[in-house]
Amino acid sequence: MRVAFVGKGGAGKSSLAGTFARVLAAAGEQVLVLDSDPMPGLALSLGVPSVDTGLPDDAVEEYQEGGRRRYRLRSGLTGQGAVEQYAVAGPDGVRFLQLGKARGPRWDNSRPHWAFQRVLDDLPGDDWSIVGDLPGGTRQPFMTWGRYARTYLVVVEPTPASLLSGRRLARLAASRGTPQVLAVANKMRQPDDPDRVAAGTGLDVLGAVPFDPAVAEADRQGRALLDAEPAAPAVAAVRSLVEALRSREAPS
Amino acid sequence: MLGQLERPGRAVIADFEAGLGTVLRMDGRPVDVVVVVVEPTAKSLEVGRRAADAVREGGLGRVVVTANRVRDDDDVARVRAAFPGLDPVLVPDEPAIVAAERRGEAPLDAAADSPGVRALVQLAESLLPGRG
Repeated sequence: MRVAFVGKGGAGKSSLAGTFARVLAAAGEQVLVLDSDPMPGLALSLGVPSVDTGLPDDAVEEYQEGGRRRYRLRSGLTGQGAVEQYAVAGPDGVRFLQLGKARGPRWDNSRPHWAFQRVLDDLPGDDWSIVGDLPGGTRQPFMTWGRYARTYLVVVEPTPASLLSGRRLARLAASRGTPQVLAVANKMRQPDDPDRVAAGTGLDVLGAVPFDPAVAEADRQGRALLDAEPAAPAVAAVRSLVEALRSREAPS
Repeated sequence: MLGQLERPGRAVIADFEAGLGTVLRMDGRPVDVVVVVVEPTAKSLEVGRRAADAVREGGLGRVVVTANRVRDDDDVARVRAAFPGLDPVLVPDEPAIVAAERRGEAPLDAAADSPGVRALVQLAESLLPGRG
């Protein structure tokens, strides 16, 4: 399974992606979680204690190409090697690789940016599941940061602003040639909310996650939802998402 | 663009994309005030803390922290601890605002008298020239 979560800021991507990855890992799968968002967030939803564990500077080397400065993984380091060496081990056996976190005014992200892209070119094979969390908005989905995904999950709340973002993201994701783009209806409060999401985005809805105060509480505590409230309705809904996606990916 | 919009009597309000991307790319001092909006969650407070630090270190403008969806005293304490000395504006968690968002209505039109909207009105008034 190779999945990228996208959506408007605040839609709940990180909470869902972190829980989704943990559910997969707890079921015995090898799971690599990719965080290309320069904001802290996914680590907390995943239950990884450190929020700042990007690729170190010495994993990257500078070179010149056509008189321009470029970056690549240091000589001898492959993408898969970078995953083995630098992806942090998390709960349930997940491995977690970050782009690196923005710091300070005019933070220069050139080195981690290029290094992370090179890792995306050489990810582990199909014996791994990959779960990615892309930053809110359209920039990264449009710029190939989710190109590893076989499925884009567009996380949408039942609000006009979120539906509009979801519709635009759906078009962008589809334009990347992604085989499958599906919506996840999040923070549902009314029975017809998933229908609103389907109609508003034009996407098939993989599943619906109810509005669940346990999610907000776990976020407040900075804990993974699965650790803070494993019996929460939102966790059950994510388990259903995993099963629903498995069914869709199973050969017919 | 922001640097060229200033006119006497004109207020310019820009809603930046989520995260620090745009803030970290600002050069010079194109704005008077950067309103850092946070929720009382661990991840949001961490992002907000980094945003406030970046704005201050870069001299990009005065920082006003606004905490949204504040529910109780624990939330207030969490926000104040993350921004010592900054006296954050507190906007209570407001069902009327959630309902307005679901309907696609402006909170000011849908629930002008709600505590959440009143807090935002006070924030706006405090940012007017001569008030801050």
